[in-house]
Parts: sequence; C-alpha cells; structure tokens
Amino acid sequence: MNRGPFKLPLIIVGILIVFAFPLIIRDRYFQHLLVLSGIFILLTSSWNLLAGYSGLLNLGHAAFFGIGGYSSALFALKLNLSPWIGLPLGGTAASIFGILLGIPSFRLSGPYLAITTIGFCEILRLVAMNWVSLTRGSLGLYGIPPLTPFRFSTNFSIQFVSEQNAYYVILIFVFLTLILLNRLIHSEFGIGLESIREDELGSQSIGIDTSRYKLTVFMISAFLAGFAGSFYAHYVRFISPEMMALGETFGILTMVMVGGLGTLLGPVVGAVLLTFLSEGLRFLEDFVKIDIRFVIYGGLLIATILFMRNGIVGLFKKVAKPSESNGR
Amino acid sequence: MKASIQFKWCLLVALCFTVLFYGTRIKAAEQPPIPVGILGPFTGSLAFNAEEMKKGMMLAVDEINAKGGLWGRKIELIFGDTEAKPDKGVAAVKKLITRDKVLVVGGGYASSVNIATSEVCQNEKTPIVVAIAISPTITSRGFDYVFRTSPNSPQFLAGVNDWLERMKKPKTVAFLMENTDYGRDGEKIWSALSKKIGAQELAHLYFEIGDTDFTTQISKLKELKPEVTFNIASTTEAALIQKQAKELNFVTQWIGVGGQFTEAYFKMAGTTCQYAMGSSLEPTLAMKNPVVAEFVKRYEVKYQKARPGIFSSQGYDNIMVIMDAIKRAGKPTGDLQVDRDRIRDTLRKTSIELTQGKIEFDKTGQVYTVVPSPVQVQLVDGKPQLFIIYPPGRAGAPYQAPLPWDKR
Amino acid sequence: MESLFLQQVLNGLIVGSVYSLIAIGLTMIFGVMRISNFAHGDFSMLGAYFAIYFVVLLSGWAGWVGSLVVAAVGVGLIGFFVERFLFRPLLTRWTDIDIIMLSIGLFILLENGARLFFGAAPKMIPDPFQSKTVNLLLFSTSEIRLICLLFSCIAIFLLQLFLTKTKTGVAIRATSQNRNAAALMGINISYIYSLTFVVGSALAGLGGVLYGTIFAVFPMMGAMPTLKAFAVTILGGMGNIRGAIFGGFILGVAETLGGNYVSMQYKNAIGFVIIILVLLIIPQGLFGGVEKK
Repeated sequence: MNRGPFKLPLIIVGILIVFAFPLIIRDRYFQHLLVLSGIFILLTSSWNLLAGYSGLLNLGHAAFFGIGGYSSALFALKLNLSPWIGLPLGGTAASIFGILLGIPSFRLSGPYLAITTIGFCEILRLVAMNWVSLTRGSLGLYGIPPLTPFRFSTNFSIQFVSEQNAYYVILIFVFLTLILLNRLIHSEFGIGLESIREDELGSQSIGIDTSRYKLTVFMISAFLAGFAGSFYAHYVRFISPEMMALGETFGILTMVMVGGLGTLLGPVVGAVLLTFLSEGLRFLEDFVKIDIRFVIYGGLLIATILFMRNGIVGLFKKVAKPSESNGR
Repeated sequence: MKASIQFKWCLLVALCFTVLFYGTRIKAAEQPPIPVGILGPFTGSLAFNAEEMKKGMMLAVDEINAKGGLWGRKIELIFGDTEAKPDKGVAAVKKLITRDKVLVVGGGYASSVNIATSEVCQNEKTPIVVAIAISPTITSRGFDYVFRTSPNSPQFLAGVNDWLERMKKPKTVAFLMENTDYGRDGEKIWSALSKKIGAQELAHLYFEIGDTDFTTQISKLKELKPEVTFNIASTTEAALIQKQAKELNFVTQWIGVGGQFTEAYFKMAGTTCQYAMGSSLEPTLAMKNPVVAEFVKRYEVKYQKARPGIFSSQGYDNIMVIMDAIKRAGKPTGDLQVDRDRIRDTLRKTSIELTQGKIEFDKTGQVYTVVPSPVQVQLVDGKPQLFIIYPPGRAGAPYQAPLPWDKR
Repeated sequence: MESLFLQQVLNGLIVGSVYSLIAIGLTMIFGVMRISNFAHGDFSMLGAYFAIYFVVLLSGWAGWVGSLVVAAVGVGLIGFFVERFLFRPLLTRWTDIDIIMLSIGLFILLENGARLFFGAAPKMIPDPFQSKTVNLLLFSTSEIRLICLLFSCIAIFLLQLFLTKTKTGVAIRATSQNRNAAALMGINISYIYSLTFVVGSALAGLGGVLYGTIFAVFPMMGAMPTLKAFAVTILGGMGNIRGAIFGGFILGVAETLGGNYVSMQYKNAIGFVIIILVLLIIPQGLFGGVEKK
C-alpha cells in the first residue's frame, strides 16, 4: 500500500472531524442520522464480508439483525440483564444462526444459496410475528431499556439515551469493527476467502478447507449484524418483526453496491450516503408531492450495476490509478 | 495521491449533505405559523386511508386559517411519514419534535406504530393525540403526554357486544383475524364474550396483511358452520373475504370493526358484503346530529361530491381537539417546553362536540365519550348501505339475518 | 355432502395452476440464460395492470379474454427491452451476483414505480361471471376460478406443444441443455435468448391476469408470486419445465392442505420450508435441474 507523507496526518484529521461531528452540528435529528449511519455501517460491512469478499450472496441478512435485536431486548426485559451484556449476547445468538445458515452454503451457491437465505429470513420473521407470547407478535417489543449509564459519583453519570452519546458509543464500535475487518482481510484467512470466491474448486485443491472458512465467515458476519441489532434495540428502544423484512436486506445491499462491493470503505460510504440521501429525498418528496424515494433507489441500484460496478470507492480507485484494473 | 483525493471527495460530499440538510430549514419568517406535527402512513399500502384522514384534517385547518388562524398566526400541519412501520414512525416523530419543533403531535394510524411513537413523545415530553389506533396499550402505560381521540378496542366492540348478548345470542362462533394487534386484541375481547354468553368457539384462524387468498380458511369455516364469524380485517382483506365467501358458498353472520367499511371496500366487494356487520363511527349515519350534517356538507363542498368516511371524520375531530386545546392554552410563550406542557394540561380538560360525538378524556388520556354503533350492510335499490341496527332508539333499520346465496 | 379435504385440494389446484404458469417462465429463463430474475413476479403485476386498464375499454367476456392477450403482448414487449438493455450487457461480463442484484434493483424500481403510477389502492379485475358459484357435489368454487384453472392448463399444454413440436421450441430446449453445442448446430443464440425471455415474461403476465382475477391487483402483488415461483422451480428442478408444471400444483395443494391441517398462520412459510428441505436433501429438485453454467 502506498503510504505517502500525507496519509497519516490526513487520517488523524479525518478521525478528529468524525469525532467532533455532533459537537459541531447540534441538531438532534442530524445526530440521530449519524447514529443510524453507524448502525448501518456495521450491517453493510458484515454483509460485504459475505458477498464481497467470500462471494456468498446472503439475502437474509436482516434475520441476524432481528435475532440480535430481539435477543438483547428480551434479555433486558425478561431477565433484567444489563444491555451492555446484551450487546455481545445478541451478537452471539445471531452467530449461532449464522452457523446454521453456513451449513447449506457448503453445497449451494449463487441463486440457490440466495433463495435459501430468503427462506430462512422469512421463516424467522413469521416466527417473530406468530410467537406472540414471546415477542408480542406484530405489536413488537417496546419500552426496551437503554444502555445503562455509567455512574461515576452521585452527581456525575454519563447516560446513553441522547443521540450524541449514543453516537460516540457506536462510533467506537464502528472503528473497532473496521480495524478488525482490515486485519481479517489482509490475513491468510481473508485471502483464503477471496480465493474461495474466485474459484472454489481450485481453493479446495490447494488445501483450503472451504467448509470451515464458510462457517467461520458466516459466524463473524452474523455476530456483527446481531450486535448492530442489539445496539439498535437499546437505542430506538423498540423492535418489531418488520426489521426482518426482505426489503431491509435489499436496503443494505443497495448501500454496499453503491459504496463499493468487496472493499473496506465501500460499505461505509454506502451506509452514510444512503442514510443521508434518504432524508434529502424525503425533502424532495415533500416538494414534488410524490413518493419517488424508492424508485430512485431501484434506479440507482440498476445504474450502479450497469455502469459503476465497483461503486463509488471503485470509481476513486480508477480515477487515482487508471492503469490498475480491479480484477473483475 | 490516492488518499488525499479520496479525502477531498469525502469533504466535498459531506459539505453537500450539510447544505442539503440545512437548506430544508430555510423558511420565510413573518408571523411564524403554529406548527403541529401529523403522523401517518402517507406512502405504502395504507396510503389511501391516510389520505382520507388528511382530507378531514385539512378541512378543519383550512377553516380556521380562513378566519385568520389563532392570534393572527396560521396553523401549519407538518406531515411525518411513518410508512406504517414502527422504526420509520419513530424517526419521523423525532424529526417533528426536534427539528420542526412542533407544539403537539396528532394523526397516527395503526397500533404498532403508535405504541412506538407515543413512547417517544412521552420521553420527549411532547403531547401526542393519537387519531386512529385501537390497541388499549397506547393509553394504558401511565403516559401523561399521550391522548387518544379514537375509542380503544373494548369500547369499539361494546356496541356490538351488547347486541350479541341481548339479541343475537349465537350458539357457535368462529374467528378469522388479521394477525396483528388489531386482530388479536379484538379476538381476546370477543373470545371472553363468547365464553360469557355460552357460545362455542369453533375455530381461531388467521391471515397476514397483504394476503389475498382466503379460500383455505373459508373452506375450513364452511365445514364448521359457525353462526357468527368474527372478522377483523382492513379494507382489502375484508372485501376479498366477502367475495371469496360467496365463491365458496359460505354463509355466516360476519362481524367486524368499522375501519373496513370504506369506499374502496364497497367498490371491491360489490353486493357480496350484504349482511356484513361491524361497529362503526361512520359520520353519515348520524346525520340527524347538526354538527355531523354540517361537517358532511362542508366536506362534500370542499372535495367535490366525495363522501366522508370514518377516517376523514376521525382526522377532522383529531385536529379540532388539538386546535381547541392550543386555543385554551393561550398564546404560545416561545418557550417550547412550557407551551407543550400547557397544551398537555388543556388537553386533559377537553370537552367538545364533534362529528364522532362528545370528546372528553379520562385519567389515562383515553376518550370515553364516543360510542360506536353496531351497523349492518343492507341493500337499498341494489346498492349496499350501512344502517345502525341497535339499540332500537338509534336504529335506522332492523337487523336482517343473512340468507343463503341462492336466495339473494 | 361436502368434503373439506377435496375442497382444499381444489383450492390448491386452482392457485397452483397460476403458480405453475408463472414458474414456467422463470425456469425457462433460468434454463436458457442462467438468469435468476427476482423481478419476475413484477412482470405478473404489470400484466394484471394491463388487464385493469384494458377492461375499462372492453367489458364482459371479450374484455377479459382480450386483456389476457394484451397482458401477454405488453409484458412480452417489456421483457424484450429489459433483456436487451439490462441483462444482455451483463451476461458475458459479470457474475451471478451481479445479475441477481440487477434483478433486485429492477424489482424495487418496478414495484415502487407501479405504486407511483397506479396508486396504492387495490383494484379488481371485473369477473365476467359476477362471482357466480358452481356447486359440484363434493366441493364448490366460482365459475371464474374454474375458467382460470382451465386456461392455465390449456396454456401449459400449448407451451409444451411449442417446445416439443416446433423447431424453435426444440432450439430453446437445446440451448437450455448445452449452449455451446446448440450454437455449433447453427442455432442463433442471441435470438433464442430474446425469445425465451419474451415468452417467459409473457407467461408471467398471463399468470398475473389470472392472479388478479382470482384475488386482487395492487403494486406490491409481485413479491409473493416471485418467491413462490422460485420455490416451485427449485422443487421441480431449476430449468426443468415439466418440474415447474408439477411443482406449481404440488406447492398449491401443499399450502392449502398444510394450512388446513397443520397451521393457518404459517401457511406462507410452507413454500420456504419446501425450498430449504429440497435444497438440502435433493438439490437438483424432484425432476432434475440443469447444470450451473
């Protein structure tokens, strides 16, 4: 990687700006969008790990999000567990289901795997809808406790109900995730994943245990998505079966494609861009008086695939290094 | 250099968004209008019902603004789209409260969404007056900022229950419910009633919103032959159920809730919905009431021959209650929290005659003075119309027991 | 004396026939071009809307039959353009994932575009029989549903004739089995691609009209048929037309019987459970699917 003299200070400045955002812009709704972006970054990055790096098309990703959310919410509501413990527990619950979904991926690929994942997600959504005694069905779980405040003394404590503080929490998790993913991708494991994506048979022939790799990557991806779901549950303090609808996964997928599939920053760019674009479009809708928001998403996805296959990040790379092809 | 180009692009993009975002706040400032937030599923499959609600609301707002508004300031309705999804509803109401700085929130359709949004309003100490949602949970959590102008499900069903207990006295009943809180809440109430009157519960069947094929459920019901079938559904599903019941030659006394008897329902079901019953707040049924007659007349003038339905009258009442409370709270001081608290206090003391009847709130913020009536669809010159059938003093027509299909 | 069991079987067969019709289009397109089109159900939706608007011009019997023709032609035409300008450029360049994503984008676009154009309120295709019931000895249904069942069967039969007895039909099947060999035999692959997509989409459009007649028409109606069609194709074997025919009827009856005897709430999940079971146990489907690429 090209590390010129300007890179490190730029990165530091970038990080400082990102940390300072909610202090500069005090508008609470803007801060709310920042928190949502953070949650989506976890979702898009985890989905990208499967589809972008491993070539596993998972159209049921929203299921992991929902499992994490419901688990953590139920732990807090029924067992009085601290939400801070609920976060990793929700992720773990999701990763168990991730393993379940990993098993079919040994033999299935492409459209077959995609449809299986849709079925998986739909079945879980129906369970959430119908197991009323546990999940309250379509009514959803409300009154979910927020992340417990840190008490330093009788007068001083930090709460996590406000958008601003929630933003800092998710920001830390986003950084941790990105650092983790970066190391993963550049490790032997990550290279193994990419080789499975390119040529599964070939990978097996050089000794890569593709089944173990697939299981592991599903586990990690599911954990991250479940974690995001748990955080969401304790931030919005409400969760319902709609969070596991097919459309939610499509939203994540659009973000990743627009941002750049198979890159580290692509999901980040896509998540932030589309979260804010969604709001900007709402404004446009009020103006034009018709709901064109989703039509634009559909068109955006199509245009991206046809003309901008590697997303925005891909465009940068081409602009910066026109000679280097992306291998696809 | 790759990194610096990327960085510059990022800054540019961030700048664009900040501009776009703040651009939405530029408004001309004269006598600033009084902002009232309105929630509803304005996009999505329930949009046409939200439109009905909006039409009723605009009728009220335009009237007041034509007379100069309140204290020379116009009332401005700021709409937040919930897309009938709780998470979008939460985002929409947060925006109304924090960015648009509304004094009070109104509107709202569908219980699951409203449970979430009203909780947000309580946490943000902003009064909310829910227009169309019947789950009892909304007003039973001890939230003092939450009010509701719509009857809750026990109240909605009370009129029908009375009639069932005293007049119809069925021996066998069955349930075909929408698989949501809307359906399940009603199911609980009717199941309790069935036990009370000694009716045998033959089956509890469900369907999802968006389902179009009910032949499986109806075939099963046909075999069981219940006298009464409770059916809580929204417009589309309810109409399709009637149609498919005819196709399968199934006869029963259908009993539902008023929200299904919309224009769209009658268009879709045609004459197949004859004899269907429900508990309704249909405004045109109370034309003897001068307030209602006036409302219907003005609605037809404003919207060119369109007839107001239950959602338009609920929307109208919702706004009228809000504006009445704002008026009694006195001129806004400019301190948002003070103004919001004042409106909450004046809402508590609401007592006003509107199209649904008299509106007063009990200690939990629930209206208790609106009484829906049991209605039945009957054919007049081959066209389906709604009639109140009980109690005798208010009935517009006597009850008709459903005839087999070949005799209709 | 009515039999609930037979009634449910009939209900299932009627719905299943529509599933079959739509699924055949999907499986043909997959078999020949290896395209998994997640927007396939939206072609059905468009067909239904074509019917709604046509029936306004011509009512009664002629209207209904005419709307079938209009839907098939209209959707076929749309399919032609979609294939040529959206999918064709991708076929040689990119991977499975890209094609699926493109179809997802198309799905989002069509569904919401339809909501914008046609309005969210559900509409009905008027029934020329006015929902008249037919009471057979053991079960009842409406006349129009029987007509739909009949129509589906006739359409399927005609399609089979086309595929087995005409030169073009055989060419399609040949391309589906082995594209390179077919090309070597002088078959114009590009033409076959277009034709297959057009025919597949037209079938979806027809299915849409039937679906809209039996049930209702609304912008979101495409999603369920898409997923059911995938369930059917997987059950029957992807690319296998005979499999799609039988699979459709099997799924329809499985849903009604499952809903009746097992659980009404999870009726829609039956399709997904079938998918998962089939893929895990007999991944090539009941009748054997085509090789991937």
